[in-house]
Amino acid sequence: MTALSLGAPPAVDLDRLLAGIDTLATQRPVAAQVVAVANAEDASARTLAGVLAADVALSGRVMKLANSAYFGMSGRATTLQFAITVVGFTAVRTMATVALTCLDDESQLPDGFWESSTAVALAASVLAPRFGSRSQDALCLGLLAQVGVALLHADDPAGYRELAAAHRPFAARRAAEVARYGISALRLSAVALGQWGFPPAMVAPLAAVDDPTSADGALLRVAFEVGARCTDPAHASEPVQRLSRGLLGEEGVAAVLQQVRDAAEDLRRAVVGDQTTTAAGVPSSGTPAAVSCCRAQPV
Amino acid sequence: MPASPTATGPAGSVSPEVLAAVFSAAAAGDGPALLVAETVEGTPRVTWANEGAVRLLGTAAGDLRGLPVGELVPALAAGELAVLLRREHASRLALRVRTGGGLVDAVVRAAPAPSGSAWTLAVVPADAGTDRVSRATADAAERRFATLTERSPIPTLLSEQGMRLAHVNDAFCRLAGRPAADMLGTGWTGAVHPDDLGAVIEVVAAVLEGEDGEVRARLVRADGAERVTVMRFGYVFTPGAGSGFLGTVEDVTDRLAFEARLAHQASHDPLTGLPNRTLLDQHLATRFAATGSSTGGRLACLFLDLDDFKVVNDSLGHEAGDELLVEVAGRLRATVRPGDLVARFGGDEFVVVCEDVDEADAAALAERIVAALAVPVHLAGVRFRPHASVGVTVQAPEHADAADLVRDCDIAMYQAKAGGKGRVRVLDRCGRAEARDKLQLVADLRDAIERREVTLHYQPIVSAADGSLEAVEALARWHHPVRGPISPEVFVALSEESGLVGPLGLLVLDEACRQVVAWDRDLGDLAPPRINVNVSALQLDGGLRAEVLAALHRHGLAPARLSIEITESALMTDPAAARGVLQELRDLGVAVAIDDFGTGYSSLAYLRHLPVDCLKVDRSFVAELAEGHPQIATAVIALARSLGLSTVAEGVATPGQAAALTALGATYLQGFSLAVPMDGATTATWAGAR
Repeated sequence: MTALSLGAPPAVDLDRLLAGIDTLATQRPVAAQVVAVANAEDASARTLAGVLAADVALSGRVMKLANSAYFGMSGRATTLQFAITVVGFTAVRTMATVALTCLDDESQLPDGFWESSTAVALAASVLAPRFGSRSQDALCLGLLAQVGVALLHADDPAGYRELAAAHRPFAARRAAEVARYGISALRLSAVALGQWGFPPAMVAPLAAVDDPTSADGALLRVAFEVGARCTDPAHASEPVQRLSRGLLGEEGVAAVLQQVRDAAEDLRRAVVGDQTTTAAGVPSSGTPAAVSCCRAQPV
Repeated sequence: MPASPTATGPAGSVSPEVLAAVFSAAAAGDGPALLVAETVEGTPRVTWANEGAVRLLGTAAGDLRGLPVGELVPALAAGELAVLLRREHASRLALRVRTGGGLVDAVVRAAPAPSGSAWTLAVVPADAGTDRVSRATADAAERRFATLTERSPIPTLLSEQGMRLAHVNDAFCRLAGRPAADMLGTGWTGAVHPDDLGAVIEVVAAVLEGEDGEVRARLVRADGAERVTVMRFGYVFTPGAGSGFLGTVEDVTDRLAFEARLAHQASHDPLTGLPNRTLLDQHLATRFAATGSSTGGRLACLFLDLDDFKVVNDSLGHEAGDELLVEVAGRLRATVRPGDLVARFGGDEFVVVCEDVDEADAAALAERIVAALAVPVHLAGVRFRPHASVGVTVQAPEHADAADLVRDCDIAMYQAKAGGKGRVRVLDRCGRAEARDKLQLVADLRDAIERREVTLHYQPIVSAADGSLEAVEALARWHHPVRGPISPEVFVALSEESGLVGPLGLLVLDEACRQVVAWDRDLGDLAPPRINVNVSALQLDGGLRAEVLAALHRHGLAPARLSIEITESALMTDPAAARGVLQELRDLGVAVAIDDFGTGYSSLAYLRHLPVDCLKVDRSFVAELAEGHPQIATAVIALARSLGLSTVAEGVATPGQAAALTALGATYLQGFSLAVPMDGATTATWAGAR
């Protein structure tokens, strides 16, 4: 029984969901250790490589990421330590977080989750300098911004699918998420990332996305808009001029779209490996898929 | 640290004294802001706050009591409070907290009591957080850097991470001819020439590991133009971001072009624009090595020498000569195959190098060249038909190096030229063997001269009137250790071709003087009064007087004891110079005789002005006496007499000839019928016996 009154009965028990995230760390100890080491003040690429090497799949993805079009090393990153140097600790931590939350198993995710997330991430990265942000941080944030979506979807697949279909504009969807779950997916992402120790500065845009005065929020809003234009044919475009507080006009969107399209598939393969995108099938079990998939793996 | 019941056990197990002490400490004014929240009527509300909380939130403790937690953290919607106030887990959120002074960024920690309906909240303002400060510091540093480089004339790149650029300055954008927006991230790699990108990434990879590096790479501007640059990278580490680089880019296009021009000038002939000998040598050496391998084709070398170039220069002027050379260069270029090298070897000599051809191909090319050159050209208004003698050689196993190849085609060219103008001569295996043989003989001759193995024989010259010994003519003899005696006609000509005539002449002069002095010592008055030494046309340079003087001094011989013989044809090579040299010799007191007179077409008028003492009637005219043709011998002897010169009739083979020549008025006689050439000792015996 919940000790809190959340108004309308929520479809998910937030506390249980968050508790589930906490237990994930024990399922993928190497990924959890990577997150911890990458957080440490005195971490070095060598230390991190030493830890990361124990998870072959994760190491492979970091190597692939370093050699992806986004980082431009064209296959020159041949050692794990160098790959970590190239992509940076935040990106390594991001990759570990993806593994930790089983976001690398696309069969358990909403349709097109990674197509959308990589597009948002690349759009945020490309646009970041214009908004006074760092491309690297924007990329990582973009990749993880929809962790909350995955968590809500895992807990309530049918319900979330229905919600997402019924509320296509982002602001409307967020409102619907709050109404149904007591929290928006973005806020849930922010909570999760905060709990995992990502720097507040990196996570801050998630909280600011509905703040019309915030540049961080504007970057994320535009990134979502560009990502949707890239990946969702049914998306009803919103004017970027307004979303970006005038920092980006429609005339600048085409070039960004092109850059996103050029690098998106490469980035997706690096982040989740070479598995094929799954069909629309959604697990009927009420068990959070993220948890179940991690438990299914030998540790 | 040992676990204690107070730290780990249920609160119930802690004594009231301990609880009181902890509570007192928590409530104290100098501690962190602490609050206790409890669910009251379904809403989490503040039920207790310490002094730190009162100070931070700017609200009296009494007013805080009962305040809904949601009002403290307005950023959390009502339903979202669950992420802060969890049932079994502590939470930590970065949130904005409402204070008396407005919203403040803070980190809020919440720890649930075992009941699940009460929480302890700790609020730490984030303003002093090191993360924000260091981030701000880094951002400020980056802005300073951007400001610094923005207007710098040096194209500059700053990577935020790996290959990804965070910043490029105006100078780099101008150099690459692209807007900054296209260069950020990995966009700049699109401006690097695809063939050079690999090297750039290679260097950046090394730089990211802490080294410095530089690389030459072409930038392709948006308009397609290429600029050659040197990119220099330095390692940059940004805490929180990772390894990147700071790059500066130098446009070396113009410098390279200048260096290329200099290099071109150093390796090309400025007049014709053809590769010069330096480049020819390099090309040949490279190609020779390559074709020496099993896969390479054979090299062919064509050596061209323009016929009559000196005539053009002398008669039409040097400008016309230059014009001819330029015209020839153009025709050569137009005639050879693509890929063949045409070089100006020097003067009026050109070399063509081609590959993958046999002798027939090379000879055909040579004929094409001769034909192309033979098309008339107008020089200084004069129609001139250029001709070239062409020597051709195709690379053979006997060629040890490229120089061998050039030398062989040079030989072939001389053979072609010897055969007449506008000819082609291929130096085949047989010709090459002959040439090699000749080269060996030259080497042997050089050694023989150095070791004084070229010796002298002496043929007496006697008075026609009374048979008295007038002089001896020194005749060089070479007995080759393997080949036996080598004819003077062979080795003297060889010495003239190979630059050995100087040393040979010196040897003869020195030995002749030495011998006369030796005879003087042994024979006294019976010693030959004078010695005639032959001098080549090539020795008629400024040095002959000094050499003669030195030899005379070295041996202590009076100048009058020496006579220099020079052929008529040698005199006519450069009459003015010859006249000067002969005059110098005469001034020393040395006698001068013209050898082989009558064979050289010299002008009789000119002869009158030459400072000579004696004409030697050529042996061919003496031989004609026996055939009933005394006319020329008669005329020469008469001419000499009329000019006040003495005569020596050479090649007197019979007493009859001797008598006839004496009757014609010849002053002296020389020939087998009188005495054969003898070595020094035999000559002494011969002279002593008279």
